[in-house]
Amino acid sequence: MLGAKRGRSRSVDDPDLDLVPIMNMFLVLIPFLLISASFFHLKAINTSVPVLGNADGSVAPGNTVKLTVIVQLEERGIRLSAMSDEADASILGDFDAYFPKGRASAYPLDEVATFLQGIKDRYPSSDTLIIIPDGGVIYDTIIRTMDVARTGTRTELFPNVVISGKVG
Amino acid sequence: MALGRSRRRTQKFVPPKLQLTSMMDMFTILLIFLLISFSSEVVRMKIDGNIQLPKSTAKQDYRNNIRLVVAQDSLWLGDEAVAKIKDGTVVGLDPANLQRSALYRKLSACRQKAGKATENKTAEDNVILFICDKRLSFKTINSIIKTAGIAGFPNFQFGVLEQ
Repeated sequence: MLGAKRGRSRSVDDPDLDLVPIMNMFLVLIPFLLISASFFHLKAINTSVPVLGNADGSVAPGNTVKLTVIVQLEERGIRLSAMSDEADASILGDFDAYFPKGRASAYPLDEVATFLQGIKDRYPSSDTLIIIPDGGVIYDTIIRTMDVARTGTRTELFPNVVISGKVG
Repeated sequence: MALGRSRRRTQKFVPPKLQLTSMMDMFTILLIFLLISFSSEVVRMKIDGNIQLPKSTAKQDYRNNIRLVVAQDSLWLGDEAVAKIKDGTVVGLDPANLQRSALYRKLSACRQKAGKATENKTAEDNVILFICDKRLSFKTINSIIKTAGIAGFPNFQFGVLEQ
């Protein structure tokens, strides 16, 4: 009882925290983090240019027709077509399409994404897309087209994107 | 007068207390911000002029291999300026004869060096990290990537900013 009384009667001082060691740690950590900080998060898109080589004649097991989609970025719009050694010309003809630029002279990439999704749904083994831009097409447009070609609207579409100049 | 002086002398010296709380707050905020932007791989680029990178939905990390940087007015291979770009054309890069350009020679040298060290390398190590200004036209880029393809680097990683 006496002990309890004594405890109550003690004056409660604000405990002084010794912040100096924490400050020292911060002073070491902050320069280290400043050096290794990156303010631009750089990511990468894999692509390739066409090279001469021996054609691989092997066909995937099972009836899996592979189409190669060609996206031509023209000054006035986007032209789509498909090619394949395993499909008839009449089937390939179904995938010929042209999407003219919109009012704000922007490429209709949403419509292209929907069209590409349709191809992927019909031929899910297809994984290659060739982008053929005109000389005047800017790099930003090529990257946005690549994004549409790779990711599409719902699923991954064509992970192998090849970039090529126009022949002739 | 004398009384006043003696009073001053007898005052007890109290060491001043540093108020570290606000400084701690500032450091904590700074630390959190820096921890978020911490990156184990920092790319240092020496670029002449300002470069605007395109934004993309890509999530893949880049490999820090041979770096080809195309700014509005200059072309860099790593930290070395290779050519000037004037009116959208790479100076000294003839589209009809790409093998005679300085870029081709330097890339071929890189390829030979890479060829010597292929024992421990995979095909992915011979990929060029291509960093290009988003405002440049394909006409400018095409001759550069064609040259790289001829020099033995047909695979690229296009460097983009995370959206």
